Amino acid sequence: MPPGLTHSRLRTPVNVTWEVTEACNLQCRHCLSAGLRAGSRRELDFDQCRRLIDELARMQVFQINFGGGEPFLRSDFLEILRYAHCQGITTCVSTNGTVLDDALIDGLLSVAPVYLQVSLDGARAETNDAIRGRGTFSRIMSGIELLAARGYPDLSLNMVVTRLNAGEIGEFDGLAGSHGAKTRLSRFRPSGAGCSAWDDFRLTREQLLELSAFLGDHPGVLTGDSFFALTPDGRRALGLNMCGAARMTCAVAPDGSVYPCAFLCDPVFLAGNVTDRGLADIFESSPVFERFREEAVETCRTCDRFSSCHGGCPAVAYFLTRSLDLPDPECLRAVVPATSAKEVV
Amino acid sequence: MVCETGVGATGAGPAAEYLVPDWVRVRRESFGLLFYDTRSTKLTFVRCGDDMDPPPFTGARRLLRVRPSDESRAAALARLMQTLLVKGLVVAAGSDS
Repeated sequence: MPPGLTHSRLRTPVNVTWEVTEACNLQCRHCLSAGLRAGSRRELDFDQCRRLIDELARMQVFQINFGGGEPFLRSDFLEILRYAHCQGITTCVSTNGTVLDDALIDGLLSVAPVYLQVSLDGARAETNDAIRGRGTFSRIMSGIELLAARGYPDLSLNMVVTRLNAGEIGEFDGLAGSHGAKTRLSRFRPSGAGCSAWDDFRLTREQLLELSAFLGDHPGVLTGDSFFALTPDGRRALGLNMCGAARMTCAVAPDGSVYPCAFLCDPVFLAGNVTDRGLADIFESSPVFERFREEAVETCRTCDRFSSCHGGCPAVAYFLTRSLDLPDPECLRAVVPATSAKEVV
Repeated sequence: MVCETGVGATGAGPAAEYLVPDWVRVRRESFGLLFYDTRSTKLTFVRCGDDMDPPPFTGARRLLRVRPSDESRAAALARLMQTLLVKGLVVAAGSDS
């Protein structure tokens, strides 16, 4: 949020992350949604999905970020996308790319524009497969090549940056470019299955510094809300300067449960369910959301980068410390103290 | 991005209308208007108070109405509209979007 407006409260979210299904054909070691699947709850049916989209349109939500599970495993998913577009809502789909074929791409192009984000966790098969599963690199690349062959216009390749693949970011950027795709880098967080993989996958101090420098040198690389606590000041205009959970965004789980963000789908943060209560009402008056908006990381207030990150990602802080009022342990100042900061920013 | 308008005195300024292109969504917020460009998914925060009336969220020929609450805001609002024109978030009302 721009300076001067950080304490403004938006009427409704700017975007909503909607995990439309629990179903997935992969078992990625860092999956943020693994906790949802473990719960094995039911999904909203098509009529419920349509009612939710109607409400999002009334709320004037600009964008739905669909995820899962693997959203294309839902047989009615294209119809859900089409319905959202008819209501004037922009859609972005996060997919593992393994089920893409020409017929599905035809369907996506008929709904276009659909921002498609294909997950690939390395520029090399051995790296990706160590994270997303054996043989997945070639399956994902087949989907990407189909999209590239069709000149799919709104494509990005997304890599969750971990200790295993951090050394391949430049190569990954080249791979995306050679397929007509933008590069998107996402943060590895200790949510879902990521909690048990944290010690193996978390970035080293040197990797965090290299990533920060890379992002500073590559303003065209997309990061969404991932790295605002780590990025150099020169990149500030490109993204958020604070956590948007419960302020600019929220997440809807497959069964309609609502959480502050997709990385906080934990019973502690359950704000309501859209089958019981309207999303607008949940966003407006849920005590969970109110608490989130009022939360402030007091220990960060004297930091010279406070206006750049406002304490960083609460999901990382929470799942590592079980506290929301502690700073993000991977913020730039945790990695490089202010006294030596000129080396990197 | 925040585009700020000036703070004015008394007496309403002249009204104007701009067309909002198909690819842009606009909604009212407490600080003014929030623009979203569907081509880039970028947001533009416009701190204009009640000096602009947003058009419907979707639909044909959506008009943004600019009504300065006092004359002293007119110049600042004109600069603001110029910024929005350059960003492609509005076009002159006589244009096709």
